[in-house]
Amino acid sequence: MLTPTDKLAAAANRAPAALIVMKERYIAMLKNDLILHSPVQYLGGQSADVLADGQFGGVLARAGVGKTALMVQIALNSMLHERNVIHVSLNQPVNKTNLWYREVFGHLARQSNLPQPEALWESLLPHRFIMTFRAEGFSVPKMEERLTDLVEQKIFVPRLLIVDGLSFDEPLRDSLSDLKHFARLYAMRVWFTIRTHRHEDPGPSGVPKQLSDVEDLFEVAIQLVPVGEEILVKVLKGLTLPAEHAQLVLDPTTMLVKDRSA
Amino acid sequence: MKKDIRNVRNIGISAHIDSGKTTLTERILFYTKRIHAMHDVKGKDGVGAFMDSMELERERGITIASAATFCEWNGHEINIIDTPGHVDFTIEVERSLRVLDGAILVLCSVGGVQSQSITVDQQMRRYQVPCIAFINKCDRSGANPFRVIDQLKDKLGHNAVALQIPIGLEADFSGVVDLLRMKAVYFDGDKGESLRLEEIPEALRELAQAKREQMLDAASMFSDELMETILDEKDVAADLVIAALRKGTLARQLTPVLMGSAYKNKGVQLLLNAVNDLLPCPDDIENKALDMDKDEAPVRLTSDPSAPLVALAFKLEDRTYGQLTYLRVYQGSLSKGDTLINVRTAKKIKVGRVVRMHSDQMEEIESIPAGYIGALFGIDCASGDTFVAPGLSLTMTSMYVPKPVISLMISPKDHKSEINISKALNRFTKEDPTFKTHVNPETGETIISGMGELHLEVYLERMQREYAAEVTAGAPRVAYRETITQQAEFDYTHKKQTGGAGQYARIAGRLEPLPDQDFEFDNQVVGGSIPTQFIPACEKGFRKCLAKGPKMEFPVTGVKVVIDDGASHSVDSSDMAFQAAARGAFQQGYFKAKPVVQEPIMKVVVETPTAFQGPVMGSLNQRRGMIVGAQDEGALCVIESQVPLAEMFGYSTVLRSLTQGQAQFTMEFLAYKQVPQSIAEELEKKAAEQKKKVA
Repeated sequence: MLTPTDKLAAAANRAPAALIVMKERYIAMLKNDLILHSPVQYLGGQSADVLADGQFGGVLARAGVGKTALMVQIALNSMLHERNVIHVSLNQPVNKTNLWYREVFGHLARQSNLPQPEALWESLLPHRFIMTFRAEGFSVPKMEERLTDLVEQKIFVPRLLIVDGLSFDEPLRDSLSDLKHFARLYAMRVWFTIRTHRHEDPGPSGVPKQLSDVEDLFEVAIQLVPVGEEILVKVLKGLTLPAEHAQLVLDPTTMLVKDRSA
Repeated sequence: MKKDIRNVRNIGISAHIDSGKTTLTERILFYTKRIHAMHDVKGKDGVGAFMDSMELERERGITIASAATFCEWNGHEINIIDTPGHVDFTIEVERSLRVLDGAILVLCSVGGVQSQSITVDQQMRRYQVPCIAFINKCDRSGANPFRVIDQLKDKLGHNAVALQIPIGLEADFSGVVDLLRMKAVYFDGDKGESLRLEEIPEALRELAQAKREQMLDAASMFSDELMETILDEKDVAADLVIAALRKGTLARQLTPVLMGSAYKNKGVQLLLNAVNDLLPCPDDIENKALDMDKDEAPVRLTSDPSAPLVALAFKLEDRTYGQLTYLRVYQGSLSKGDTLINVRTAKKIKVGRVVRMHSDQMEEIESIPAGYIGALFGIDCASGDTFVAPGLSLTMTSMYVPKPVISLMISPKDHKSEINISKALNRFTKEDPTFKTHVNPETGETIISGMGELHLEVYLERMQREYAAEVTAGAPRVAYRETITQQAEFDYTHKKQTGGAGQYARIAGRLEPLPDQDFEFDNQVVGGSIPTQFIPACEKGFRKCLAKGPKMEFPVTGVKVVIDDGASHSVDSSDMAFQAAARGAFQQGYFKAKPVVQEPIMKVVVETPTAFQGPVMGSLNQRRGMIVGAQDEGALCVIESQVPLAEMFGYSTVLRSLTQGQAQFTMEFLAYKQVPQSIAEELEKKAAEQKKKVA
């Protein structure tokens, strides 16, 4: 015969297991909600990625137009699919990079009327690793060394690598070729922000000069072009936008991608 | 004591561990002729720095309790509080900042803005303390003060402006260029006591000019006169620039940056000049108290020494001749023989000896006027108490006191120690509001709790040294807690008929999760189903349940209790019956509300040479840590992570062996988060075993 205390203890033992399942289910539900509303789906459908393993993507724009905001949307989309993201930022401290994520996530959550965004945010964080370098001491091999450390010790195994702030004004071909090899080896997709300059003519193939030397290494390139008060999302290569979302823009208040016609 | 309030500075020296603030204080005291010999923190002479007066501090080379001292420089009286750098002792830093008008933020020219500097900066922001920065250790290899200035801007968001540039760096560091007067300053003599002014070396002239222009640009934002002078291309007088810089500093919109090497006796005198010129006097700062008679309405205090007294006790120390209480007088003046009221206890106190402290030596004085820091003997009070003149009912705003996150069971080795322990605990809890103690009523064990392993370790050692108490300490325990995750209803009737007067009470309502708060009680009973006189008994009953959660006996937080119905009996209902019903109702609703166990998660920041980045990350990962990011800072790498406190015991030893002693870490409380299922199961097992033992 069980005493009331035993019954209570038994109840206590049962309760958490049921709760964990419920909590996980709830978080999964929130994730699905957000994935359905994710603006990145305009670029790559409902899948997490626009890129395949080992592929490179570039987001080109002038300073201050929204490259990092778009990158963070791509990263969050990957995190929602439980795919690990390493965000390498040059010259921005960890806190500032984290702030970008909080901001963009906040906008996404509000846009999708997500209840309890904090719970979902907490569950996304383990899928993100921010690594920052000072630009003056940075080199692609140095970054590779750090990444290898993480991957080989199984501290953090990324599926998506974001490199934000690398200067494409310098010759990068050799380093990027090495990185491409590295990305294939570890089945990673890599996105870069590429800063262009206001008064520069495009290269011979019509793409900005910064990309033209290494264009063959990039499977996808997207350019953000400010036109009046809008920022147009223009595909330079590797993507065909579905007819119903042919005109994408960045919302100037939230910097989220949206369909202009919507 | 001089009475011109404009020539008084109450300053603190805050910084990261090992940035050299105790050494800097030592040098300041030497140059202001308060001491006649300098000793190093971990010096070979075994004397230790002057401000580290506790034996333990000298032995470990760290400052634990802040010592107050004063000195004079160029006709200004400077009261200095030396503050500890380790995060475990943050309450000391917070207390000091509460009573200070300005601060020197010491930064290491190699390490730059480190994690603890960020914490200290946040504290300064909380108390609106204006500060100037001193970039120390310019003689060290890898020194780069300009990088530190950039970090001040980027990481801390300061509008940092260099007032000096270094002449040479690392081993070649020989002096500074004063950008205000455009002179090279060298520090001659054995102890750098004589200043030699010379023309700026040719090689630095261009850089000095450029940096001066940057400084003038920044300063001109705070003075139209200066702006006009610059635009008219007239000669800019140093006084005009100083006035503008001071205005910006007081408004916390500008942080003047000075540099030097305290250890090598360079740059300290110029820093003292800057303290006089740029940091506020007590009159520049608006201090407010709360009027207890007018629903805590804020009252502005004036630094007029003839106004009625308002003073704050910010630190206590146990001396052989009784309790020494450090006070800051905000209004009026405090003299020998005065009668004061302790606002918290409403007790009258007669002032005996009034002293001014100089680390552990003291000087007897007649009175402490407004704006000054002094100490009293023989008054019984707790840290944070406000003292006022009879007739006033003001209290200084309370200080932010974080809750303890770690606890330890202690037991005396013999009877003599038992008495001494209780004396020591009584003293420590009065001195330090983050240090708590209680006796577990079931096991009879004495439990001490605090802000970290080192925090408790230091108190254990102090018990032994200062009170000769031999103590056995158990393994540190984490302060887990319980909370509920969903709403649940209860309807409980307490009925007992065992001869004599019966007991009858019924309570119905619901439990709701309450994030960010401990407890709330909401009475929505209408129509008198529970008579009004029993409502407080209901609340009391629910509150009693919080101390020990029904799930695992950890304290319960984050619960809102709403009662909306019930029943009573004209004869059998009583306070006791309703308290019992509340306990039953809580138990009933609690398990339906899906309770979970939460554990403290710490923000752990490790600074390590880049070569050890991998092993350090691995070690954090093994401890259930989530790595938020890694910041490459050249030779060093800063890893920020969130790790459960339960996994952090003994981490300093692990880190030392992983990195050949070259890494250091800081840890501070971040948040309570739910424990993973496997850990919850382990805790349950342990709790069950414990219960069996007790039974």
